[in-house]
Amino acid sequence: MRNNRRFATLVAGLAVAVVALAGGLAVGGPPSPPPLAPLPELKPQRPEEVELGKLLFFDNRTSGDADIRCSQCHDPRKGWADGLALSDGYPGTKYFRNTKTILNVAYSDLLYWDGRMDGGKGDLDSQVRDALTESYWHAMDGRIMLQRWKQVPDYVQRFKAVYNAEPDFELTLKTVSAFMRSLVSKNVPFDTYLKGDQHAISEQAKQGLALFQGKAGCIQCHNGAYLSDQKPHALGVPENPYVFLTPKRHTSYRAVLRNLGVPNRMKWLEDVGHFAVSKDRQDIGKFITPTLREVSRTAPYMHNGMLTTLDDVVEFYNKGGGSHPNKDLLIRPLGLSPSEKAALVAFLKTLSGDEVIPPDLDRLMDQKKLPAYATYDWLKVEN
Amino acid sequence: MNKEGKMWRHRMITWVSLVAAVAFAASAFAADPAAVMKNRKTVSFNGEEFPALAHLPPPPILPDLKQRVGPDGYPEKDSKGMPKLDDPIVKLGYIMFFDQRFSGDGSVSCATCHVPKEGWGLSSAISRGYPGTSHWRNSQTIVNSAYLGKLFWAGDSLELGQQGEDANTGLSGNAKTDMVEERLRQVPEYVRMFKEVFGTQWPILKDAWRAMGAFERVMNDENTPFDRYMRGDKTALAPKQIKGMELFQGKAGCIQCHNGPMLTDEKYYNTGIPHNKEFDKDPLIQFSARWQYYRKGVGEHVFRKAKFDTGLYSNTHVEEHLGLQRTAPLRHLVYSAPYMHNGTFDTLEDVVEFYNKGGGPDPVLRDFGFSTKTKRLKPLNLTKEEKEALVAFLESTSGKEIILPDPKIPDDGVFPGAIAKFGKLAPEKFIEKEKKKE
Repeated sequence: MRNNRRFATLVAGLAVAVVALAGGLAVGGPPSPPPLAPLPELKPQRPEEVELGKLLFFDNRTSGDADIRCSQCHDPRKGWADGLALSDGYPGTKYFRNTKTILNVAYSDLLYWDGRMDGGKGDLDSQVRDALTESYWHAMDGRIMLQRWKQVPDYVQRFKAVYNAEPDFELTLKTVSAFMRSLVSKNVPFDTYLKGDQHAISEQAKQGLALFQGKAGCIQCHNGAYLSDQKPHALGVPENPYVFLTPKRHTSYRAVLRNLGVPNRMKWLEDVGHFAVSKDRQDIGKFITPTLREVSRTAPYMHNGMLTTLDDVVEFYNKGGGSHPNKDLLIRPLGLSPSEKAALVAFLKTLSGDEVIPPDLDRLMDQKKLPAYATYDWLKVEN
Repeated sequence: MNKEGKMWRHRMITWVSLVAAVAFAASAFAADPAAVMKNRKTVSFNGEEFPALAHLPPPPILPDLKQRVGPDGYPEKDSKGMPKLDDPIVKLGYIMFFDQRFSGDGSVSCATCHVPKEGWGLSSAISRGYPGTSHWRNSQTIVNSAYLGKLFWAGDSLELGQQGEDANTGLSGNAKTDMVEERLRQVPEYVRMFKEVFGTQWPILKDAWRAMGAFERVMNDENTPFDRYMRGDKTALAPKQIKGMELFQGKAGCIQCHNGPMLTDEKYYNTGIPHNKEFDKDPLIQFSARWQYYRKGVGEHVFRKAKFDTGLYSNTHVEEHLGLQRTAPLRHLVYSAPYMHNGTFDTLEDVVEFYNKGGGPDPVLRDFGFSTKTKRLKPLNLTKEEKEALVAFLESTSGKEIILPDPKIPDDGVFPGAIAKFGKLAPEKFIEKEKKKE
């Protein structure tokens, strides 16, 4: 009896151990990525706040020398990006990364390729602040800007109506970020498909979707409603040599490294990516997964615009990416056939909805049609 | 004056002279700007003592700046009497003075508002600002600025290097340290020159300001008729100018504030300078002026109501300082019109007429109900001849116009490591926007 009991205890113990082990494996194994989903509805916005933000978004007077506006690089006709491999930046400077679209920015966790700013789910105002005040973008002194707005009676009125306040720098950030949050894809075929309309996308695109979630493994990083895990990964995209061979770009790059406190900024001849934020050497060469929404409108691709077309991008992944010491283990040769690659591209194209164009774009693009400065009777009007 | 008063005055003069003498002796060893500017002689006006007019001594050179001076203590001149620029630190400062890299968008240099052919100032009443803004004051000449202890109209900066840095940001240059310093490091010629002058591996922006200060310290106009006269050449001034100088120190009372070798006491006064009508026409001037008061943290009760240049108040926030500006030096005037902090007078005749009337109505009184205007100004009742003599004297403190060639601005370079890594590719071609602008 005693022996039997011991045996039973042993068996029971083993069984518990096995179950525990199995359970442990299940917990520690790769979690399945969040499923693809249509963009969820956002909180309703105040139209008059969005309207003011829109005007300012298109107003050159948001930059130090009143020469560029947000739409300079986030052009509605170019998918709210600029169509360039590397962004232009403020006059007299050149930037060293590709301009991302700001469509659907409301759904983002992190912004910029290196993830140094909060996205639309968090403190988007600070991103607007960054874009307005940094020397490589708008080089704007917020205090000058607010005095400019006070010189525009139409804006004074609008600030009063929207915020019951005088024009103010923080309110400028708030209203511009409100406008940015309003830029959301509409009538996206893929979303319509997910909502049950089987005819919203082609058979080829459906095949592409299956590959995206299966053989090609794109879903490992491009997942959820935003089609991005919003985490840093290294793919080994080749460096864009002009970041370092064009003096103004190299200058801006070092200025950013300097602002972020990156050591040895005079020596880096590669884009360190998220390392500049985390200061963890394992993050060198890692960039935040971009959303794939509206991707067919935002060529060229990758953080430095080194890939020109979606075909190039698919081919890049098919070969298992480039080479980099920190390259993600998820990136491996895929062995896709030409028709599979074409199917993937067809799927990616279903992620673009109707072109998001403000109805009054022509007026917005013409600086002369924006609310104008007034000349006050200096001695009579209070400051 | 009673006996006690005389005694006090006598002691005071002895004491002042003693202090001045000690200060002067000290200045021979350490080139302390304040000590150099101390004057041995005084003149009295209305029972008060003021530093006497004098020729320009050698300029103060910062003790930690390796800047060359000639055997007489003055920076050397070339055969045409122009400042020599071959001292490495001066040459570096001179080149950078003209370099537009020192502004946010690369379109403005120091020389944009301190134009060589406009007396190293600007001939417009209100200085131009950075694109998209305006300045709100008159651009002062940099000539003889080495001698000033207080720079900018309200004395915001105390040293030329600091002045350059202050002008570089804000509505003159709108530049930021991060970008400008990195730009300098992208220029192989600057890297070489900074290494030679300052011994650093890479250019440091603070050193750039020091070099520009060194350049400004050679930009002196010390051989004027007035200076020659004060050094003993009694033929250097015409009789009319000598009469003007007597009026200056006598009936007109200018000496009360415009005294010493720079013809300024570097103190602050409200003289009731009239409103400049440019302010009524230009929205850029209007918001730029508001920005100035705003950024200096002027309290709201003052900010809302002040429709004049708050001057010293914007630095001290003391109400008695509302509308006070530092006394302007009266040198190089022939080349540096228009005059006053808001450039409201085009000619020296206008200026003399303004003081003849005892200055203008007080804008502080207008906006705040109390006056800060100096009590020293009273109607002078000058005759036409006397006014002409004063103007003639004021013209005697200008020597030769200082004209230097525009320097060659060195080009950006690519880091050698970048060429080794990426090879020499054709230059990047693009930018629709730039094409459009052309």
